[in-house]
Amino acid sequence: MTKDRKFGAALLEIDDISLAFGGVVALQGVSFDVREHEIRAIIGPNGAGKSSMLNVINGVYHPQRGTVAFKGRKRRDVNPHEAAKEGIARTFQNIALFRGMTVLDNIMTGRNLKMKANFLQQAVYWGAARREELEHRAKVETVIDFLEIQHIRKTPVGRLPYGLQKRVELARALAAEPELLLLDEPMAGMNLEEKQDMSRFILDVNDQMGTSIVLIEHDMSVVMDLSDRVVVLDYGRKIADGTPDEVRNNKDVIDAYLGVAH
Amino acid sequence: MTSESYKRMQFFFEVLIGGLLAGVMYSLVALGFVLIYKASGVFNFAQGAMVFFAALTTVGFISMGAPFWLAVALALAAMVALAFFTERLVLRPLVNQPQITLFMATIGLSFFIEGIAQLTWGAQVHALDLGIADEPIDWLMNNTGMNISKFDLVASGIAAALVAVLAVFFNKTRTGRALRAVADDHQAALAVGISLQKIWVIVWMVAGFVALVTGLLWGARNGVQFALTFLALKALPVLILGGFESIAGAIVGGLIVGASEKLAEVYVGPHVGGGIESWFPYVLALAFLLVRPEGLFGERRIDRV
Repeated sequence: MTKDRKFGAALLEIDDISLAFGGVVALQGVSFDVREHEIRAIIGPNGAGKSSMLNVINGVYHPQRGTVAFKGRKRRDVNPHEAAKEGIARTFQNIALFRGMTVLDNIMTGRNLKMKANFLQQAVYWGAARREELEHRAKVETVIDFLEIQHIRKTPVGRLPYGLQKRVELARALAAEPELLLLDEPMAGMNLEEKQDMSRFILDVNDQMGTSIVLIEHDMSVVMDLSDRVVVLDYGRKIADGTPDEVRNNKDVIDAYLGVAH
Repeated sequence: MTSESYKRMQFFFEVLIGGLLAGVMYSLVALGFVLIYKASGVFNFAQGAMVFFAALTTVGFISMGAPFWLAVALALAAMVALAFFTERLVLRPLVNQPQITLFMATIGLSFFIEGIAQLTWGAQVHALDLGIADEPIDWLMNNTGMNISKFDLVASGIAAALVAVLAVFFNKTRTGRALRAVADDHQAALAVGISLQKIWVIVWMVAGFVALVTGLLWGARNGVQFALTFLALKALPVLILGGFESIAGAIVGGLIVGASEKLAEVYVGPHVGGGIESWFPYVLALAFLLVRPEGLFGERRIDRV
């Protein structure tokens, strides 16, 4: 599937990133970019450094070498909450929702950065704080409608089945109205129907909200269907980069996935 | 009903109500612990010291000639400063350390706060007058013959109002939600743009405010003295009964502890030589641990194996 669509300028530029934990090298000289309105997949065998890459973009890890530029601004050593301020939202491989809170409250935390009422106003829940709360609640409702989770609004997240939790996590990320959305294995552990739903949501987000997306995924058919361009990592190095078709036929990629006789 | 059994009933209710009102005061102490535990998973040993510090600071300013409300405002400012100080110098350097490390740090902090308080204001016992008399309510006395203190009733009212405000704050506002989010999952909280440092300052500020209210009420009742720091120990059985992360639990736990220790003292005490009020709550808590270790309102932790 190819999409006729104009991509904008580079939104995120990863340049020569190297990351090591003690003696363990997670990433080595990886460079690629993500353009506006693009769905970019990162694939690779287990331990290839995919999640590490996402964590570098999101500011969880700080690379020893190389630069990350977001919206043309080079940055070093941002914290995750600063990355969130820049307009980067994410989901996690092992769902990281606030389990004791309701779906609605979870998604409302996504609006956290957009809310401005000061502490004192909030302490008495009066005036600006109250108005703002209602205003943002309305925004959150549109996200809830978009992802078709109206019926579980008031359910504590811990009680939901896995597939729905993944969707709530996506909703929380979307509530922040991010420019760049990082999805770490959004379809891991889902059945076919859930995967199809999630694929549709990801495409809709990209299409209707114009959000650029970086996603890590193991299911090859999903990756080939969804993504505009694919980065392939193996042992922390980039071994291929291109459209799904180019990557699929790349000899290094086939070797990395199927193993190669030495 | 014979007048004998009526008297007995009347006495029972007098003890029960007195105990419940005292229990509200325990709840107040426990509340400070719950707030910090909820947001950071740290058992803040210094909460008792904060109560002492807040009360002593207020009394100190009053003795310097400040009017009551100004002294309270200044004490509140001191608690806010303490929150910033604690976050910057104690919590931030220890981020990602095991909980036991943070717990030990709060023990150190409590010594520090106690020292600063006494260094600044001296170690003698101060009286604090909130203008509420600690005397029986006439109406109740005349109509039911029960001896319930006016002060206890007003103190309970203040505590109830404080709890109501905190409940709305926690459930309805952005910061309240952020506090709960941080309590639930640090990593996820960071990813949605919640600054842990800011949240910690806020939660220590709120705990400081609660400590101030607690300190004023307890100080007015028992005198502002070093013994206030031992309130922290009284909060333990309350927390074990109610659950460490529940505001509702702190309230109910406090009521149970207050009522049961007074009833035990009056009805069981004479048979075992008295003085059981001081240790009964701990035995109760111990028994409770065997049956429901997470407390009445605590979250049951289910781990995947």
